[in-house]
Amino acid sequence: MPLTPVITEHWDDPELFTISGYRRHGGYRALESALTRDPDALISLVKDSGLRGRGGAGFPTGLKWSFVPQNDGKPHYLVVNADESEPGACKDIPIMLANPHALVEGVIITSYAIRAKHAFIYIRGEVPEAIRRVANAVREAREAGYLGTDIRGTGFDLDVVVHAGAGAYICGEETALLDSLEGFRGQPRLKPPFPAVAGLYASPTVINNVETICNIPYIVDRGVDWFRQFGTEKSPGFKVFAVSGHVNRPGIYEAPLGITMRELLDYAGGMRDGHQVKFWLPGGSSVPMLTADHLDIPMTYEDMAAAGTMLGTGTPMIFDETVSVVKAVTRWLEFYKHESCGKCTPCREGTYWITGTLEKFEHGHGTEQEVETLVELCGQIMGRSFCALGDAAATPYPAALKYFRDEFVAATTTSADDQFDPVASYVFAGAVAR
Amino acid sequence: MPELPQAVRGFGVTFLTMFKKVVTEQYPEQKVPPKPRFHGRHQLNRWADGLEKCVGCELCAWACPADAIFVEGADNSDQERFSPGERYGRVYQINYLRCIFCGLCIEACPTRALTMTNEYELADDSRAKLIYEKKDLLAPLLPGMVAPPHEMVPGTTERDYYANTVKGASPEQVTTSPAEAEEVAS
Amino acid sequence: MTVTNNAPSGPSPDVAGAGTDVEVAVDLITVVVDGVEMRVPKGTLAIRAAEQLGIEVPRFCDHPLLDPVAACRACLIEVEGMPKPQPACAQVLSDGMEVRTQYSSEVARVAQEGVMEFLLLNHPLDCPVCDKGGECPLQNQAMSVGRPESRFTGAKREFEKPINVSAQVLLDRERCVSCARCTRFAEQIAGDPMIELLERGAKQQVGTAADEPFDSYFSGNTVQICPVGALTSASYRFRSRPFDLVSVPTACEHCASGCSLRTDYRRGVVTRRLAWDDPDVNEEWNCDKGRFAFAYLNQGRIESPMIREHGSLRVASWPEAIDAAARGLATARGSVGVLVGGRSTVEDAYAYSRFARTALATDHIDFRARQGSAEEAAFLSSKVAGAPVSAAYDDLESAPAVLLVSLEPEDESPIVFLRLRKAARAGTQVLSVGATATRSLGKMSGRLVSARPGDEANALRSLDDETRALLGQPGAVILVGERIAGSVGAASAVLELARETGAALAWVPRRSGERGALDAGALAGLLPGGRPLTDEQARRDVAAAWGVEAADLPSEPGLIGADLLEAARDGRLSALVVGGVELADFADPGLAVAAVENADFVVSLENHHSAVTELADVVLPVAVVTEKSGTFVNWEGRPRPFGQVFRDALTMSDARVLAMVAEAMGSSLPADVASIRKEMGALGPWTGARTPAPDTAPGASADGVVIASWRQLLDSGLMQEGEPHLAATARPTVAIVSASMAAALGETVTISGPAGSVTLPVVTGDVLDRVVWVPTNSPGCHIHADLGAVPGTPVQLSAGGAA
Repeated sequence: MPLTPVITEHWDDPELFTISGYRRHGGYRALESALTRDPDALISLVKDSGLRGRGGAGFPTGLKWSFVPQNDGKPHYLVVNADESEPGACKDIPIMLANPHALVEGVIITSYAIRAKHAFIYIRGEVPEAIRRVANAVREAREAGYLGTDIRGTGFDLDVVVHAGAGAYICGEETALLDSLEGFRGQPRLKPPFPAVAGLYASPTVINNVETICNIPYIVDRGVDWFRQFGTEKSPGFKVFAVSGHVNRPGIYEAPLGITMRELLDYAGGMRDGHQVKFWLPGGSSVPMLTADHLDIPMTYEDMAAAGTMLGTGTPMIFDETVSVVKAVTRWLEFYKHESCGKCTPCREGTYWITGTLEKFEHGHGTEQEVETLVELCGQIMGRSFCALGDAAATPYPAALKYFRDEFVAATTTSADDQFDPVASYVFAGAVAR
Repeated sequence: MPELPQAVRGFGVTFLTMFKKVVTEQYPEQKVPPKPRFHGRHQLNRWADGLEKCVGCELCAWACPADAIFVEGADNSDQERFSPGERYGRVYQINYLRCIFCGLCIEACPTRALTMTNEYELADDSRAKLIYEKKDLLAPLLPGMVAPPHEMVPGTTERDYYANTVKGASPEQVTTSPAEAEEVAS
Repeated sequence: MTVTNNAPSGPSPDVAGAGTDVEVAVDLITVVVDGVEMRVPKGTLAIRAAEQLGIEVPRFCDHPLLDPVAACRACLIEVEGMPKPQPACAQVLSDGMEVRTQYSSEVARVAQEGVMEFLLLNHPLDCPVCDKGGECPLQNQAMSVGRPESRFTGAKREFEKPINVSAQVLLDRERCVSCARCTRFAEQIAGDPMIELLERGAKQQVGTAADEPFDSYFSGNTVQICPVGALTSASYRFRSRPFDLVSVPTACEHCASGCSLRTDYRRGVVTRRLAWDDPDVNEEWNCDKGRFAFAYLNQGRIESPMIREHGSLRVASWPEAIDAAARGLATARGSVGVLVGGRSTVEDAYAYSRFARTALATDHIDFRARQGSAEEAAFLSSKVAGAPVSAAYDDLESAPAVLLVSLEPEDESPIVFLRLRKAARAGTQVLSVGATATRSLGKMSGRLVSARPGDEANALRSLDDETRALLGQPGAVILVGERIAGSVGAASAVLELARETGAALAWVPRRSGERGALDAGALAGLLPGGRPLTDEQARRDVAAAWGVEAADLPSEPGLIGADLLEAARDGRLSALVVGGVELADFADPGLAVAAVENADFVVSLENHHSAVTELADVVLPVAVVTEKSGTFVNWEGRPRPFGQVFRDALTMSDARVLAMVAEAMGSSLPADVASIRKEMGALGPWTGARTPAPDTAPGASADGVVIASWRQLLDSGLMQEGEPHLAATARPTVAIVSASMAAALGETVTISGPAGSVTLPVVTGDVLDRVVWVPTNSPGCHIHADLGAVPGTPVQLSAGGAA
C-alpha cells in the first residue's frame, strides 16, 4: 500500500509553518470555500466523510459535532486537544511544528460549523516550540483576517486562544482538560453531562484531537469521495503513523488506514539489523501489545479491535527480542502511577500496588502467586475507574502476560537485567552488549 | 477374718492419708507460686527505655465482659511524653471487684501493653482500694529504664519501638526525664 | 403561641400532609432494584432508591447533601444494559431501569470488594489510636463488603502527622481515602474553599494554602462527615471512644438558628457535640460554635447559693437563700424589675414572666440584654410575639428573593446563612440592607442595598422599583435582625415594606432564647402568647390560667430597656431579679452596672460567676442546658425541645428556683417543664387584637464617621470560654474601612468614641465611605465598654497607634 502524504505532503518545505508557505501549497483555500457554505452542510460533510477521531478513541467526528445543540442561546466552544503525552505517541507535536496552519485552518472551519466564537488549543506545556509555532500561526491568521470579527465579511467572529498545559497526562482526558482550561485542578468530570451539552464553562463544547482537526481543511477542499478513497468502509481516510522503536528509520509515515504493520515496518527500513520483532503496540502504551504474529493485520479501528487491541493514537512502538517485557510494562505502569490524578480509588491505589509489585519482579523478587494476583488487580481497575486512564493502566500487564507469561514467572527469581542485558536493547552507537 | 468394727475401719482413710503427699499449703507463711499461665493481677508494660506501651486505645475496655476497665487517652506532647507515638493512656483503672480474670483484655491489647502477672493477693478492706490506678498497674522500672515522661531514644520513631529495636534508654534520655534530672540536681 | 406540649423533635406531622400534595406533582418512574420493582421520583439516584429498600450500598464520597462525584467507586453496582459496573451514587435512574447491588449481582460484589481492597491498601492499620475507630464507615464497610485479608504486602504511603488545617481541625493524611467530602462541603455548602485536594495519584492529599488555615465557621462539619479518621478535632482527639459515650439528642443553645444536636458525654462530662440530622432546620450541619463551645458547661460554675452578709457573699443553704430572696422581694413587691437572659428556655422565660406578674406584682420585665428600643418592642409585640410561622427555612430555600435588614447571617445566625447560600446557588436573589458588603454576602451572590448605620429606615423607604418588584414576587422573604433595634424608624419601615410588597417578614434574633422569651411574655406590656397586657380579655385569660384575679395583674405596661435600668439606678425600682444576664452586653454597660449597684435588693439566678453575682444580694445557682430539659424557639417560631442530658444533675432550672421563691412569698408557680408546657399549651396563642404596630419616623445617620458593627460568631462571648482551639479560628479583630479611607489611615487606626478608644489593624473592605466596621464584642474591641458606642455612633478616627 503506498504512502499518502496529505498533512505531511509539504513538510519538506522549510517555510511551511508560515502563512505564506502554507498558502503556497493551497492553504486557506478550504476556509474560503467553507465560509460560503451552510454550517450544517459542513457538519454533514464531515459526517459523510466518516472521519473518526485520531486521538485514540476513534469516535466519529461529524457525529460529535452534531451533538452540539444549536440555537440554545449559549456560547459554543471548540477545544483542540493538543496535550499529546501518551508514551510512544509523537504525531500531534510534529504536525504542530511543521504544519501549524493546517490546525488553525481546521479550527476556523470547525468553529464555523459548530457556531463557536471562541476556540482553545490546549497544548502540552513541555513543548514550548509547538506552543510558539501555533501561537505564531494564530497571530498570522489573525493578521491575515482569518480570525477576529466579521471574518472575510461573513459576519462570523472567532478568537483562538493558545493555552499551555502544565504537564499532566490526565489533562489529555477531555473533561480534565476542560477543568484545567477553566483554571481548576485537572481531574476528569462526571459524565453525563457530556461536553457537547455542558463542557467548557458549562456550555456546549466540541473537543477534537489535533490530527482530526488537521484533516478538516483537506476534506472540505477535496471532498468526501476523495477522502473515502483511502482506508476502509469503517475507517476511511489516512492516518499519520509515527513509528518508533527498534526500527532502522523511525519517523512519521502518513498512509491510508488499512496499511499493515509489516508494510509500515518496510517503510521504516525494517527492524535493526539482526533483530526480530518481539512485541509491538499499535498506538501508545494504553493499547494491548501484539507480537510478530500480528504484523499482517490491517491498521484500522475495526481490525485492531478484532485482534484484541486498539488502533489508539496510531503511533506504533516496535520492540525487538532484546527487550524485557517485564521492564517495559514496569516503565509504563510507573508512568501511569505517576500520572494518575488521584480522583478515583481503583486508579490511584491500583497503579500504586501494581507498580510496586512489578518493580519487585524487575529486580527478581516476588512470587508466582503475585503474577496471578496482578491479573486480578488489573481486573479490579479495568472498567471501574473514573476515566480511561485507569483502563489504560490496567491494559499493558494482562496483554503482556498473555504472550510472555514465562518471562514474568522467571522474573520472580531472576531480575529483568539478568534475563535481558539492557545494553543490548540500546539503539545508539557504541552500546556494547555484555 | 473377723470384721473390724465400723468405727475403726473409718480411721483407715485417715491412716492412709497420713502417708500421702500433703496438699495443704501453709499460706501465707509459705507462698507456692502458681502455674505460669495463671491469670493474676494485670500489669502495664514498658518499653526497654521506660516509656509506656499503653496507647490508651481502650480496646481492653471494649473487650472486657465485666466492664471492669476504664481508660482515657491523651496526647503526648513534646514536653511530656509517656509513650512512643501520639497517644498514651492518661487514665487507666481496673476495678478488681468486677474483674473476672478472663484475659480477654490481654488478647485485645494491640501493643502488648497489658499482660497478667501471677499476683493473686487481691483483697483489701475497701472498694476504693480495689480500683487499681495506672500507678498501681505499671510495671516496675527495670535497670536501664528511665521513668517517663521523657523523649524517645534520639533518632528513633514509634516504629522502631514497635519493631522492638529499642533496647534500652540512651544517656540523653536520662537527662530529659524530670525525675532523673531532679536526682542529678540534688 | 408556638410552644405547646412536649412535641417530640423531628419532622412535624403537618409535613406528611404536605408530602401527599407533592407526590401528585412529582413524576414517578418505575425501576427495579435487586429484583424489587419500585416507583421513585424521576431523577432519583440508584443509591437513594436502594436505601429506600433498606439496601445499603457501601459508599464514602456519596453524601446526600453534596453533589455526586463518584470518586471512591465503592458503590459500584450492575446496571442492566451497561457493560461496566456503574457508581450507584451518580447513576440517575430512568424509567424501566434495572439495577443490581452486591446482594444480587456477582459483578457488583466483586467490584465492591476490589475497591475496598484498594481503599485499605494505603490506609494505616492504626484503628487503636484513631478517633474514628468504632464509628468508622471504612471499618464497618470493610467488614461488610471487604475481603477477609489483604493481599498487599508492600509499604504503605506515609505522611507526617497530624497537621493542623486549622487550630481546631487536625488532618492525618495517610488515613484519607480522597473522598473529597470535606473539600466539597467547604466549596458547596460553606462557601469557604480553604481546603482542597493537592498533588495527584497516591500522593493526593487534602491541604490548605500555606498562609490561609481552614478558618471556616463550619469547619467542624468536615470532621463529622469524614468517613475515616483523617479529620479530627483538637477538642475531641483521643478523648474517648464512641462506645464509651452516651448520646442524647439536644438543641443548640448558642443562637436562634435552632440546630438539632447530639450531645455525647462520658462520666458526667460532655465530650463532644455533633450536628444532628434535621432536614427542616439545620439539615446535617451546624456551626463551629454550636459544635465546639461547650467547655463553659463545666467551668466556673456557681456551686451553691450565696447570700450577701456584711458586704460580702457567703455560701448559704438553699432554704436560707430562698428565704432571703423571698423576704427581700416581698418587701419590694410592686417595685421590682426583672431582667431575663437571652438564652433562657421558653419554660424558664415563662416562669419569669409569671413570677413578675404574680409574685412580684410588676410588669417591669425585659428579656433584651442588648441594645433595645421601644420601637423594637412595639414591633415585636405587634408582629412577632406568639405569631404563627411566617417564614421557615424551606421558605428561604424556595424564595425568589430574600431581603436582609440589619442581619449578617453568617455571624448572627449561621444556619440561616447556610440555607440562604443553598438558595442562592439555586437562584434566590439575596439583598442586604447595610453599610458593608461582607464576604458572606459575596458567598450568597448577594447585592448590597447601601445604608449608613442609622439610615436603614430611609434606605428601606426609598428602595428602587427593581428591588421592590423582586420583593413583590410570591414567596419573597424579609429577614430582620436584632440590630434593627438600634436604627430609629427601621422597624416601622420594614413593616411598611412588608405590607406594601406582601413579602413574608421574619425576625431573626441572635440569641436562642429571645423568641421564646417574647412568646412567653417576658417583655413589659406583653403577656404570654402575644397577649397585650392592656387588653381586658387577655388579662382575664391569663389570670384564669394562673389562678389569680385579673385585677391583681398589673394593668399598666411596665418599664423596658434603658428606662428600666435608669429607674433602678435612680432608686425608682427598689429590687431587681436578674436571670442569666451579662451586664456588658447592654448598650450602656455603665448604666447596667449602676442599676444593679443602686438597686436595694438584687437576686441573681446564674450558673456562672458574673458581674451581676458580684453585686447581688442573693445568688441562686441554676442549671445549664445539659442539666435541665426545656425548649428553645428558633427564629422561625419552631419549638426545639430538648431533654436533660445529665439526669442525675442536682442543679435546678430557673423555673424551679423561681417556684420555690414564689412559694416562700406565698404565691405559686408551676415548677417542672411538663406542667409549664401544659399551662402554656392551655393558654394558647392570642387571636384578639394585637398591640399597635410602631410608626416611627425614619431616623438619620449621624454626620462624620460612624460605626457599623455586629457580634462575630466567634468572639469574647462567655459561652465560648474554655475552648482555645475554637477561639484560635475566630476572625481577627480588625477595623474595616473603604479603600479610600484605608489609604488615608495606613496600617492601624485608633477609633475614639464617647467612652474611650481602641486601636485596631485596618483592613480594606467593601464598606461605605465615612463608616468604619468593627466587631461588637471581640478580643481587643468591645464597642459598648471600650468606646461607649453602638452601631451608628459617630467616632473619631486617627491614623496609627499601637495596635
